[in-house]
Amino acid sequence: MTQMLGNFIRALRASDVRVSISESIDAGRTAELVGFEDREILKSALSQVLAKTDEEEFAFNSVFDRYFSFEKIRSPAANDGAPEDENQDDNASDNTSEEDDSSESDESESQGQGGPPGSGGGAGGQSEKSENASEQEAQASPDLLELLERGDTAALQQALAEAGQNARIDRIRLFTQRGMYVRRIMEDMGLEGLEMEIERATDKDEDRVVYIRGLRDGLREQVRDYVERQLDLYTANAGQQLREEVLSRVRLTNVDRRDMRLMQGLVRKMAKRLVALNSRRRKKDIRGALNFRKTIRRNIAHDGIMFDIHWKQKKIDRPKLVAICDVSGSVSSYAHFLLMFLYSLQEVLPKVRAFAFSGELGEVTDLFKTQDLETAIGETLKIYGSGSTDYGRAFEELERTVLDDIDHRTTVIILGDGRSNNADPRADILKVVHARAKRVLWLNPEPKSMWGTGDSEMKSLAAYCDSAATCTSLKDLERVVSDILRKG
Amino acid sequence: MSIQRQEIEAIREGFSKSGYICNTHIATAIFLAQKLQKPILVEGPPGVGKTELAKATAEFLSLPLIRLQCYEGLDESKALYEWKYGKQLLYTQVLKEKLGDLMEGAEGLTESLARLHDFDDTFFSEDFLEPRPLLKALWEENGSVLLIDEIDKSDDEFEAFLLELLSDYQISIPELGTIKARSAPIVFLTSNNSRELGDALKRRCIHLYIPFPESELEQKIIAARVPEIDEGLRKQLVAFVQGLRGEDLKKHPAVSETIDWARTLLLLHANELDADLVRNTLNILLKFQDDIENIDGELNALVSKARGA
Repeated sequence: MTQMLGNFIRALRASDVRVSISESIDAGRTAELVGFEDREILKSALSQVLAKTDEEEFAFNSVFDRYFSFEKIRSPAANDGAPEDENQDDNASDNTSEEDDSSESDESESQGQGGPPGSGGGAGGQSEKSENASEQEAQASPDLLELLERGDTAALQQALAEAGQNARIDRIRLFTQRGMYVRRIMEDMGLEGLEMEIERATDKDEDRVVYIRGLRDGLREQVRDYVERQLDLYTANAGQQLREEVLSRVRLTNVDRRDMRLMQGLVRKMAKRLVALNSRRRKKDIRGALNFRKTIRRNIAHDGIMFDIHWKQKKIDRPKLVAICDVSGSVSSYAHFLLMFLYSLQEVLPKVRAFAFSGELGEVTDLFKTQDLETAIGETLKIYGSGSTDYGRAFEELERTVLDDIDHRTTVIILGDGRSNNADPRADILKVVHARAKRVLWLNPEPKSMWGTGDSEMKSLAAYCDSAATCTSLKDLERVVSDILRKG
Repeated sequence: MSIQRQEIEAIREGFSKSGYICNTHIATAIFLAQKLQKPILVEGPPGVGKTELAKATAEFLSLPLIRLQCYEGLDESKALYEWKYGKQLLYTQVLKEKLGDLMEGAEGLTESLARLHDFDDTFFSEDFLEPRPLLKALWEENGSVLLIDEIDKSDDEFEAFLLELLSDYQISIPELGTIKARSAPIVFLTSNNSRELGDALKRRCIHLYIPFPESELEQKIIAARVPEIDEGLRKQLVAFVQGLRGEDLKKHPAVSETIDWARTLLLLHANELDADLVRNTLNILLKFQDDIENIDGELNALVSKARGA
């Protein structure tokens, strides 16, 4: 039972449900409490203990159905077949130290359930395997043949599940491991015996040979299906997680078009994480109305003399943000992601104003509020993306329209490569902006060594920025934005 | 039927006797909370009966219900305990007058101090403690149902402060030490998801999500709450509300609104739904003028569909 639950929890984790150690202990107690007989109640109860958000509940339902539908087939015989495992403690610790799949050596001791001793366990132990097979030849092979001939699906399923457990199928990670697992399970079920039987019949009875071969191939088919299903169960999201991890580090210009959708999901995820971290940042004010009760309470130790004064007011600190994006060809893909990021963050940053320019500068805030992200970005690039970059003109426009709105709470983010096509970048305007704003950040997709070469004006512009940094991947972006949120 | 299922069904029936109709999923949560002694975090859209669930549980188990409404700025002095300052000050005054008598015969500073020390702790004893909801719940001899309503409205600090209570049913008062529950209360936390709750809190709780009820369940609820209403009309009005929930609205009507509407229709002696009647009473179901205007065009279709049900 514990083993079964442990594997189930592992399958849940693979599907992005976060299950902590204490929750898996709760799950154990819950299962003990409600029993395995009543599926509906078991499902309700486990979902309440293990799934803590909508998405998790959704994932839970699908994993539960897949996982326990199989268990159901084997259940009639499972009760008397497999002895109750004695090493529950091992299994409990087993659930927790699960991250690493290569640790098979310490796992082999905790599998007292079902099959013969020493089966499974070793990944490459050839000697162990042959010994194991010969041992089974004696007992398992006639059974297997008999089962196949009888067509007893329930018993076959049970044998399959047991063999799967002996082969540690729950440790499967990569689709390339399928072949190995199929072989291992077949062997565990008594393949050797079948082969022997075929050999024995080879010269005498050709029909029987063909017949048994047919049975064997049918079984292999079934085992392969089973392994596929298990792979699906235990690695549901692993592939995606890996790709997301890679994508978040890759240079934004190098993101493939086909990865765009995944990337968007990733941006949203990051933004959500930042929102969760920062949604209630506030600081206590040091003036305002006196919090009388609290003050009295704190000062009772000082005989009522007010040393330690508390105020009622708390200030919720929410930064204002002005984002200015260069959307000309060279940097448009970065702008794409910055805009995406900022708009996913609207919950924490209610006062975002976004501007786009290449030659002409224009506000795109409303566009993003009314359109969905893709349309808005496409639209922005269409309207503003065609001209050649001219920082001077863009800053002049900025001075005319937005400067009044920039105050000591405003953070200004500028995204661009600082290449102004030899036109005057009007660094003096940036200087004014810098003086008024709380902070000016410049994100440049070019590496620092390229700044100031050719028509790059980065050297003179960077002087008026609180920080100018290279920003090439989503991780960089996340760092910058989280920095803004932290410092307010 | 397994023993567990029987117990869960018993809870469900007990609830329905007190007028709270629910499905097995919800009853299972109550069963688990009792057996595992864990708090339940109830989430769901407003008006689906999150608070009612706590009330029904209290009634079912005949335990007192202690309620703590959360809001921004709620702190421990309002949730847990407060010292009775007035009483403390008064006693200090009294003591001042008696100080002479007390010190009579004491020789030297050390002895006087020693005598004073005997009184030290009286000021910070349970006599001077004003229990607030959380402490009250812990002090109940026979257990209680503690409802911490709208936990998402409270501050992060308060959420963190609750952790000790939720996992060990004990709290620490600096002047007195740790106070343990005399009998573990059944704790309900409700949340409307106005902000994401911390993982630590979620981990300690059984998580129960109550969605809008399905048509059949909602009919049962209406039948229990507004028994006077005619069955045909009940079917129609539930079908209409269910239809409304399929539309794009700012706020979908919840169960409590369906109940209100059923009562309204009863008052108006309506026998069946028609477009005019619905239009005139729609403000019971929908709370935004925008929603009412948006739905107006589709009202006839919705009503005729509901009448067909």
